[in-house]
Amino acid sequence: MSILAALPVRVDNPAPYFRRQTVWFGILIFVSFCLAQRTAWPWLLTYPKAWILPAAPAVNGIFDWLVPLLTPPCAVISSMLGAALDACGFALRWMPWPATLAFFAVLGWRAQSWRLALFTAVALGYIVLAGYWQQGMNTLSMVTLAVPLAVTLGFLLGVGAHTSRHVRSVTLVALDLLQTVPAFAFLIPLLLLFGFGPIAGLVACVAYAIPPMVHCTMLGLARVPVSLLEVGGMAGCTRWQRFWHVVLPTARQQILTGVNQTTMASFSMVIMAAIIGGFNDVGWEVLDAMRKADFGHSLLSGLVIAVLAMVVDRITRGFAQPRHGSARQTRHDAVRVAAFLAVPVVGGALLHVAPASMARIDTLQGVVDPNALNTFVLDLVRAFSAPLDSLKVFVLYHFMLPLRIGLAAAVTPFTWGFAWTPQVSAFYAATTLVLAAWLTVNGRWGAGIVVLLGAALLLFGFNGFPWPAFIAVTAGLAWSVGGGRLAVPVTIGTSFVVTAGLYEPLGQSLYLCVLAVLICTFSGGLIGIAAAKSDRFSALLRPCCDTLQTMPQFIFLIPALMFFQVGELTGLIAIALYAIVPPIRYVEYGIKSVPADLVETSRQIGCTAWQRLIHVEFPVAKPEIVLGVNQTIMAALSMLPVAALVGTKDLGQQVYIGLSKADAGLGLVAGLSIAIVAMISDRIMRATVSRAGNSLD
Amino acid sequence: MLTNIKIALWAVPISLGLAASSSAIAKPLGDTNTAIKIAINEWTGQNLTAHIAGKLLEKLGYKVEYVTAGTLPQFTGIASGNLSLSPEVWPSNLGDVYPKAKAEGKLEEIGELGLQTRDGWIYTVDTKAVCPGLPDWTALKNPACVQALATPETFPNGRLLDYPADWGSASGPELKNADIPFTTVPAGSEGALIAELQAATAAHKPLLMRFWAPHWVLTEVPVEWLEMPPCDESNLAECIVAPPVIKVVWSGFAEKWPAGYALMKSLQVHADDQQKMIYAVDKQGRSLDVAVDEWMDQHQSDWQGWFKAAQN
Repeated sequence: MSILAALPVRVDNPAPYFRRQTVWFGILIFVSFCLAQRTAWPWLLTYPKAWILPAAPAVNGIFDWLVPLLTPPCAVISSMLGAALDACGFALRWMPWPATLAFFAVLGWRAQSWRLALFTAVALGYIVLAGYWQQGMNTLSMVTLAVPLAVTLGFLLGVGAHTSRHVRSVTLVALDLLQTVPAFAFLIPLLLLFGFGPIAGLVACVAYAIPPMVHCTMLGLARVPVSLLEVGGMAGCTRWQRFWHVVLPTARQQILTGVNQTTMASFSMVIMAAIIGGFNDVGWEVLDAMRKADFGHSLLSGLVIAVLAMVVDRITRGFAQPRHGSARQTRHDAVRVAAFLAVPVVGGALLHVAPASMARIDTLQGVVDPNALNTFVLDLVRAFSAPLDSLKVFVLYHFMLPLRIGLAAAVTPFTWGFAWTPQVSAFYAATTLVLAAWLTVNGRWGAGIVVLLGAALLLFGFNGFPWPAFIAVTAGLAWSVGGGRLAVPVTIGTSFVVTAGLYEPLGQSLYLCVLAVLICTFSGGLIGIAAAKSDRFSALLRPCCDTLQTMPQFIFLIPALMFFQVGELTGLIAIALYAIVPPIRYVEYGIKSVPADLVETSRQIGCTAWQRLIHVEFPVAKPEIVLGVNQTIMAALSMLPVAALVGTKDLGQQVYIGLSKADAGLGLVAGLSIAIVAMISDRIMRATVSRAGNSLD
Repeated sequence: MLTNIKIALWAVPISLGLAASSSAIAKPLGDTNTAIKIAINEWTGQNLTAHIAGKLLEKLGYKVEYVTAGTLPQFTGIASGNLSLSPEVWPSNLGDVYPKAKAEGKLEEIGELGLQTRDGWIYTVDTKAVCPGLPDWTALKNPACVQALATPETFPNGRLLDYPADWGSASGPELKNADIPFTTVPAGSEGALIAELQAATAAHKPLLMRFWAPHWVLTEVPVEWLEMPPCDESNLAECIVAPPVIKVVWSGFAEKWPAGYALMKSLQVHADDQQKMIYAVDKQGRSLDVAVDEWMDQHQSDWQGWFKAAQN
């Protein structure tokens, strides 16, 4: 409800104060009418099958027409990328692992320090010991290809979107689609276009890795102070000179964050390539272990992906740090690095000449045995079965069921210890009305409406909320924060989902995501603040965040499943574990980038730490924080298909069902529905922020 | 003898050499230069079958390459010729691409693998204590049994952990037709089914779920099969019937590797053998190669017979 809380605060455009009140009053009457009629007219709750518009067949039709058209150019791209991938993979596989390890350690040393070299050696050594070297190198070759592609495309798009308003509006929609339509939904079409093999996965990887680059480039460019631009202009720079010498260096840090996020995103997508197969990579091993519910092996192989991501991230970041020194020194340095890097390559060649010694070294591969971990998890299940069960039942009865089926149905003597009698109902209604009335009298009528609608939602649950009321409320919300220009697309979007017959899974998805986002924003925000205040904690936190973000989420499903069984709680845990990373990162970054002089001033006027946080740091960091919440929503929605693997009934499950039945259209429509939900929440949030006076873009 | 060789000219010298070395070949080997690509899917049983097929083809004189491939995506690969053979296909879940490719003649079914399969409802050993009368299905109608298996999600009904929603399952209709007060809960994935089974066994909890055999987990976790309620076996939508496992090849297989095609048609693997091999590989840590070699030793007469058939 945090989005709604900021609702009607200003009297200025887009909709006049008085008209907004009238409209919301109308919406309230409409909602209560729908709720009153829900038993009399059951079609209000379950969208009738006869009214479903043939969206899925239409998508199928478009696709049948498009695929033959696109196949020839895609085949060309596919063979080009295939050749590059083969070359890359061949080089990485040719090098014996000690040589590669040394090579990367030298790179790490040159990039930063001997510490990074040590980290790199230990990390890559782990891959050897775990026995996933071959697969790891295949994965690395895929990312080596995907990241530069995604960074280049993302940077160009970001610059384009910054320069032209038209490009921006198109780009933003395209980006959201890329990031929010689950890869499962477009994997099968990609398979048809690019053929069987790793290329379809590579393309999915690039597509998914582009958005963070674009977002960060845009944010970085927008942050360049106007005064700096003017200085550039006065110094007689041409447009290009100004861009290269003034704008880019200023936006550099933000753009580098983008590169970092892109690397992480592409590592988190390599698992998608494995679903197709044809490429003996780590992702395949993870999926294999997941199918066997073999937690030990899945953790071992998943860590390989995380470790690779961290090494690549640290090294590239190290090289990106600003360096001081004359051109000659730099050249001298480059020669030295080349000399150092040549040593491992020569060593590798020597090892090829002496296969016996290589074979001896190779006995180190795969010495780690993860089966003990499996036994450990099962022992935990055995020991804590009863308390885990009661925890599950508690959370289910008190938090999840009320949101899903509403308090009226969830509160029974069996669950809460008392029945939802008419008296309780009357008390609930009276409290709500009094609170809303009090807020209205105090001039905060918007908050009053939020209370009324929230109470109704809690009473009837996402499952019991009539779909016409749902469309009306979202449309009204969009209209009052963004005017007609926002309300029309939002109404079309929600109507699309409903008329495609997906209202029920939509409710399931919303309830899971709302819970996950609330949990993540709250706890992730707190962790982010702590990280901003303590450098040591921040350093400790970074590998954890990296691991959570890059380790395939499938892995967490196995222990969660064993502890909490198939069901929505397990899905919620999986979603929350993944979606907690953006609030941590963005809150930390936002608070850390508050100008030092502001912090100093607040200290001088005698602010306590809390006052400073609330009155100085939060307002200044607001764009980052909102971006963080935004990314949390996106992350939660993107986890829906993964959560479907533990048997949730949300839109993600629809994607699977559509893909495995003879209906690729349903899969795409369900995927598109997830994207629509994401975009609507995103747009409404952006509009809210820009109305409150802090422009996000 | 050589007149019926229908291969490209560049392959002739090699075939000549091979034909000369083993004189009894009637069906030509075909293109022994191009590797036959065998799909490696996500489960150990299939991997064993694939390696048996690969070893046999190698013995006959072919080059073989193993390619990892997802169960559903592999059919795109087979239809385009990027994959040549998938020796163990369970027809219960074939997806969208398979029927289309089959109708267009891009892939070919070459008979059953002979793997005796089982499909139905299983329960953990601890379930017997709360549901006396098992394995007979009527035991599930006992209110005490229903209550013991009920969860918050299914209350007041009992809970039957079902196949993932995207696999499709006849459990729901079968429960309804037999009037058993249970609700199906779709698992979401194979891993979820296994994780629950292992956890329930470890925690000594009752559990009723749908499952299939041969499966490696059955060698590890003691379960029993329910005697299913009677149903009309011709109505697959409302009756659980174990599917016959089939072998699928690329449509150009027969022309490119004629003898290999005949060999693959004869290939048979039995469920008992496979389950033993699965246990050896997954639990005893034996390598896939060793397990397959043992199978080759034990079934020498079988595959020598297939060789003869393939060569005549």
